[in-house]
Amino acid sequence: MSTTASSLEPLFTLVAQSYETLESTFYKIPGSAVIARYVKSSHRDDPGRTLLEVILIIFAIRTLLQSRTKAEASGKHFIEFSEKEIGELVDEWSPEPLAQPLNEAERAELDSVPVVVGPTGPKPKLANGKTVLNLASYNFAGLAGNQIIKERCIDILRRYGLGSCSPPGFYGSQDVQTQLEQDIADFLGTEDAILYSQAFSTISSVIPAFCKRGDIIVADRSVNFAIQKGLQISRCTVRWYDHNDMESLQHVLESVEKERIKKNWPLTRRFIVTEGIFEHDGVMSDLPKLIELKLKYKYRLILDESVSFGSVGRTGRGLTELYNVPVSQVDMLVGSVANGLTATGGFCAGSHIVVKHQRINGTSYVFSAAMPPLMTVAASEGISVLRNTPSILTTLQENIRVVRAILDKVDCITIPSHNASAVIHINVRTPSSTPAPAQLLSPTPLSPAIPATPLSPSSAKLSNPTSVRPRHPVQFDAELEERLLQDIVDDALAQGVLITRAKRLRDQELIGARPSIRLAISAAMSKKDCEKAANVIKTSCVKVLSRRR
Amino acid sequence: MPSRPSPMALQSSSPQPSIFRKKSTPAMSSAASYLSAVSEADARARAHGGTPSSTPALSLSSSVTTSSSDTVLDDPDAEFDDALSYPRNPPTSEQVFTTVHSEFGHCANEQYRFMSQHKPGTPYRSYPEQDPPHYILLTTYLSYLLVICLGHLRDFVGKRFRRSAYRHLLAHDGYAALNSDFDSFYTRRLKTRIDDCFSHPVTGVPGRTILLLDRYSPDYNVTMHPTGTRTRGLNISSYNYLGFAQARGGCADAVEACINRYGVSSCGTRLEGGSLDLHEQAEALVAKFVGQEDSMICSMGFATNSTVIPALVSKGSLVISDEFNHASIRFGVRVSGANVRTFKHNNMKSLENLLREVISQGQPKTHRPWKKILVIVEGLFSMEGTLANLPVIMELKKKYKFYLFVDEAHSIGALGPHGRGVADYFGINPRNIDILMGTFTKSFGAAGGYISGSKALIDGLRLRAHTGTYTEAMTPPVLMQVVASMASIMGISPAPSSNTAVQEVAELERHPGTAPMSLLPSWMPLSPAMVDGSDGQMRLRRIAFNSRYLNRGLRRLGFITYGCADSPVIPLLLFNPGKMAVFSRMMRTRAVPIVVVVVAYPATPLVTSRVRFCVSAAHTKEDMDMVLTACDEIGDLLDLKQGQGERWPLQEIIDRAVELVNMPEDS
Ligand SMILES: Cc1ncc(COP(=O)(O)O)c(C=O)c1O
Repeated sequence: MSTTASSLEPLFTLVAQSYETLESTFYKIPGSAVIARYVKSSHRDDPGRTLLEVILIIFAIRTLLQSRTKAEASGKHFIEFSEKEIGELVDEWSPEPLAQPLNEAERAELDSVPVVVGPTGPKPKLANGKTVLNLASYNFAGLAGNQIIKERCIDILRRYGLGSCSPPGFYGSQDVQTQLEQDIADFLGTEDAILYSQAFSTISSVIPAFCKRGDIIVADRSVNFAIQKGLQISRCTVRWYDHNDMESLQHVLESVEKERIKKNWPLTRRFIVTEGIFEHDGVMSDLPKLIELKLKYKYRLILDESVSFGSVGRTGRGLTELYNVPVSQVDMLVGSVANGLTATGGFCAGSHIVVKHQRINGTSYVFSAAMPPLMTVAASEGISVLRNTPSILTTLQENIRVVRAILDKVDCITIPSHNASAVIHINVRTPSSTPAPAQLLSPTPLSPAIPATPLSPSSAKLSNPTSVRPRHPVQFDAELEERLLQDIVDDALAQGVLITRAKRLRDQELIGARPSIRLAISAAMSKKDCEKAANVIKTSCVKVLSRRR
Repeated sequence: MPSRPSPMALQSSSPQPSIFRKKSTPAMSSAASYLSAVSEADARARAHGGTPSSTPALSLSSSVTTSSSDTVLDDPDAEFDDALSYPRNPPTSEQVFTTVHSEFGHCANEQYRFMSQHKPGTPYRSYPEQDPPHYILLTTYLSYLLVICLGHLRDFVGKRFRRSAYRHLLAHDGYAALNSDFDSFYTRRLKTRIDDCFSHPVTGVPGRTILLLDRYSPDYNVTMHPTGTRTRGLNISSYNYLGFAQARGGCADAVEACINRYGVSSCGTRLEGGSLDLHEQAEALVAKFVGQEDSMICSMGFATNSTVIPALVSKGSLVISDEFNHASIRFGVRVSGANVRTFKHNNMKSLENLLREVISQGQPKTHRPWKKILVIVEGLFSMEGTLANLPVIMELKKKYKFYLFVDEAHSIGALGPHGRGVADYFGINPRNIDILMGTFTKSFGAAGGYISGSKALIDGLRLRAHTGTYTEAMTPPVLMQVVASMASIMGISPAPSSNTAVQEVAELERHPGTAPMSLLPSWMPLSPAMVDGSDGQMRLRRIAFNSRYLNRGLRRLGFITYGCADSPVIPLLLFNPGKMAVFSRMMRTRAVPIVVVVVAYPATPLVTSRVRFCVSAAHTKEDMDMVLTACDEIGDLLDLKQGQGERWPLQEIIDRAVELVNMPEDS
């Protein structure tokens, strides 16, 4: 029996190979009994048909065999119980509560979340009636509350209603949505773009759309949470390089190549996944170097510009504009319409092939309703504002400079963020920590600066690329720092400045980023207000952190 | 593929579509003649001694149909005799319609109403799934086999003679193909053939009708080009269950006021400065609507599942999931790291057996007891039209102590005497269900989703789910649409001036109750129909009638449909993949075009390709007649009427619609 099976094996595989697709589709056959009945009756009627039927049966049997082997694998540990025993076990079992009630710290955290009453903007009113200077909300170009955008949105509301009521595949592709995709592609200079209806759910669908089991991803150790989720879903082989360290990246790429040759892996898709400006700390990637490496090692680049799109570059086109590199070198450019254009949603821009592929394989694109038409128009208007008023980005950079000029001089904090980043992270300086790296004092903030030098001494051994943990993790007391930072936030709020800690799910992030206060600078704020706000933050930092010692 | 009626269809007693035109007297060829028709009808009504018409339009905050700012009147391409833009029988001004007929159909006949409710004491039953005759199954398999073989043949030849066309599918320059010829085979060789049925560009309100932007393909669907013309079709595809996709009316007025006041963005995540007072109001209202203690709102329906489930379960927990659960649920479960087992769709025996197995076996290998077990089902399955069998699940829940998560994406608003979803439909106290999730993209004509449950649970989720920390907060216009449409369904109770505090609390606790004024923004414009709840009632009763009518009508015509008779989602089985495209094209090219969704593998099992109708409260009885007529004709041509059971001729179904809907049991 087994010998005939093994001698038939080549035949089986031949058939299987030529119809492998068919096979995978046949997993859903509604039961072999039906087919068996079929073959019998059809053979009686017409023996010629039997051949086709036989092929179908082969697939059915294969399916059955495979599911049996699966069952056996889990069945090794299967214990037989009598009905009565099962009943007792069911009665005995008591589950944990679904939700743990909030502990005191969590309660306090939830209660401290600021609530804006009325429209948000540079000077919103809070629930306690106070008007504050807002350095918490993402409103880089100051589009929030823009009168022209409001009017256009109302116009669209009166022609399209609000919701799209359908996924894009089924009559949800509104012309205005296609228009926004076109606008984004034109703005960035890519062939095409695809729109997702939430920024966070964009990259976590983009990555698994392209990267499958067996593919290789080389990612920065400090990528944001959405990317982490995308990597998790994709199930591909992930290698890590030290945060924004191009030497480490090169080393990892080299080691993967060696491993590939040694183990004789087939050629699979390979990607570098990183961010333009990192959401965790505001550090900026060295895009030209990234591109050099990806071309050299033949990787594709997935670049998340959720923070940098709409906030850096002469007109807000992001890193490619800032570094003046051709956008075609970035294979998948992911950005946030919600942050960059103060609307909602996210996009992935790239070649026609990249975009078309996602229209069928991007999970949260296919299985979710399209963005409301008026939000797409708000974003399109946002792009035209950015295009036509380059002064907005100049103002934004001015404001960043004003804030940095004040905060960089404060001794008790460190700011890892790049000078041109509109998102500024403030860390507590541990008393013994090293002085600020030279890069932070760079006099030419608009020009791309040298990336932060790795903190680890060059003589030290390199980190293990298969583990997300770096060899020399920065040591910090997260709980203590979070408490101090929250004190600063509270103190600043009492002085009329709304700022926020960078909120994170510490137990779910792959590696805990250093706790920080995250400022978001807006072009809508006057220079004077920026100065005022920065001074308040400075005073609060000094006040809270000097108490600590 | 033009729709050419077959001889069979001509014999049938059904009126041909062109009759619609002939019948419409006077021919309404322009807006002006439409208006004059209205006033003539008025005159007729007066001559019959009707009560003198009051001046109803004045008190309404939104424009009525006859206002000159009407979208359709503005539309230069609109046809006025297509039975879509204007009703065949013009309304009299006594029948005040605050809606645009093309968005929300005018239907004043109070007989065409029904209440969506499960009969207490009876077990839940959806239509038994009928197998088609064997020759249909066989030809279905054969046609797949044929296109697959053809596809491989074309690939084989193409790769040798047209290398350039395959370049992006093969490894080149040391890069593996982004999408290899093997991975993309199904899309390239099967789906492309019928791509004209998918992703059709549209414009305007996705209401009762929708405007298609016509396109053509010179190269067998590889590329599509706009022709520049537009076609208005009857829209039986959008998830617009309660018809809130409207550019006019109370909700749109409220959204406009909101945009003027708030702008369009809340600029950030909920925990980092993006929380508005509107969020809190909307969350309180949603909790009140679904009958739970508290709720949390998320800016995308998909993300409501994919970002919240990981905060509910983790390693050591087990998720038991219906095999047909939505992709977002599967995404969330995978991210969570919990173990998953699936049971056969809506098969309670399979669920119970599985529960007994997993509880007795415990975790794999270690046999430690599970930390918790979460059963996830959908309220209304969007491809099947079946409802979760809640009465049985609640029994099992008591016995097996699992937690229950019901995804009400499609059922909320669309089911139940009060529109509160499956729990309302079955008369189950929502508080007995641990987690009720739903989306606003469907019944409410908005976007995003909510998750609701006990206060402790939701407070935990605000901090521990990915939503609050990482995703952008819902935008003000969307929030306003949610609040306005929900208030419209509930009706609004006046501000409690004389009530004592105790009464007020009691009122807040009552379920299903009205929306307390205190939960709505003070500046929100309110229309009278919204306040007294008559608008919402009308919508709920119309969708219930339409769903039941189309469901039973199709069965009486002899089609195989799945699901529950009260479901607004009605899958009509086509089986052969080739029939999908033909069905869709024939519907779209009728004299009065009808826009339908066809779905096949991988969204459904391989053999059960289907067309899916989504009924709306915006449809009128005449619209349903139109769909039935079209299906009748096309069904004869395509040999689709394979169902068993009693059959009625089309005309009888149309004439006895009310009787059909009110019949207690359908065979
Ligand atoms: C059951 C279910 N859950 C969630 C969703 C996602 O909702 P949304 O389209 O709002 O993202 C859908 C949408 O189709 C659905 O059917």
